[in-house]
Amino acid sequence: MKYLVVDDSKLARLSLIKSLKTHRDDAEVFQAVNGEEAVKIVKTEKPDIAFLDLTMPVMDGYTALPLMLEENPKLKVIVVSADIQEQAKTKVINLGAQLHVQKPINVEKMQEILEIL
Amino acid sequence: MQTLQLTEDEKDALQELMNVAYGNATAVVAEMLDAFATLSIPKIKIIKTTELLNHFQEREKTSYFFSSQSFMGEFSGETAFFIDQESAKNLSLHLELEDEDDLDDAILELTNVLTSSLTTKLAGEMGTQVSFAPPSITMLPLEEIQESDTFKKYSQVIVIETELKFEDQKINAEIYILTKDGSIQWLKKQLNMILEALM
Repeated sequence: MKYLVVDDSKLARLSLIKSLKTHRDDAEVFQAVNGEEAVKIVKTEKPDIAFLDLTMPVMDGYTALPLMLEENPKLKVIVVSADIQEQAKTKVINLGAQLHVQKPINVEKMQEILEIL
Repeated sequence: MQTLQLTEDEKDALQELMNVAYGNATAVVAEMLDAFATLSIPKIKIIKTTELLNHFQEREKTSYFFSSQSFMGEFSGETAFFIDQESAKNLSLHLELEDEDDLDDAILELTNVLTSSLTTKLAGEMGTQVSFAPPSITMLPLEEIQESDTFKKYSQVIVIETELKFEDQKINAEIYILTKDGSIQWLKKQLNMILEALM
């Protein structure tokens, strides 16, 4: 299975990948540092699941999400954000995200996400 | 005195921890005000206090409500919260406040809730706890900011700057976390421990 991790923070990406690899050691993982890069990777590498941050420079997650789904409607997008306001959660679900989860994602939280998917 | 610096990885890590802490704190305040806030990417730098004061002098708006709150522990320092007069007036309208005392009280409560949830979460992410002194508030013309006791205590500070923005209500505020050398060293050590655990 192919995964895409989109976050401008290296710490956030490394931490999420570590949690993911604990449960899926054969995961093929791509990384993007903003929404624009993420859209390109969705087009070229065709990941199955994307973990998407919202607050990023160049292109934020709100803008990237519909563009990523336009490239691949079957892509499952998990929004991983520090913004836990109800309005933010509703907005990303309406834009097509499967889930909105609060940062950071530890090993236990990752297991819950993978079970839901 | 030489200014301590954060490496790019340390800065990235602190920015991410701050992002998580700020998201948490904003959600609490948004619920309190029944409004939706936009999150911004925190800016982080270590600078001399004189540089920070110069930065304040360059602002377009001249009068601010300024509140500060000290925090103590392994990670210690002070949070500084600025809200310009126009935003304070909009906050007053949004909360349907009747007089200036009520506005002072509302800003103090906002400072208390925002900065304590922010600092508690940030400290927690770094594996420690902090305690707080009660916040204080002043209405401050910018030319008097150099006289504020808050800034006199610091020679160089780590400035974690972020914006609290309620677009619909036209309320903007800024938050600074100020710490001294000892806490900056501690912070660097903790950030490196977090980073090493991921490598």
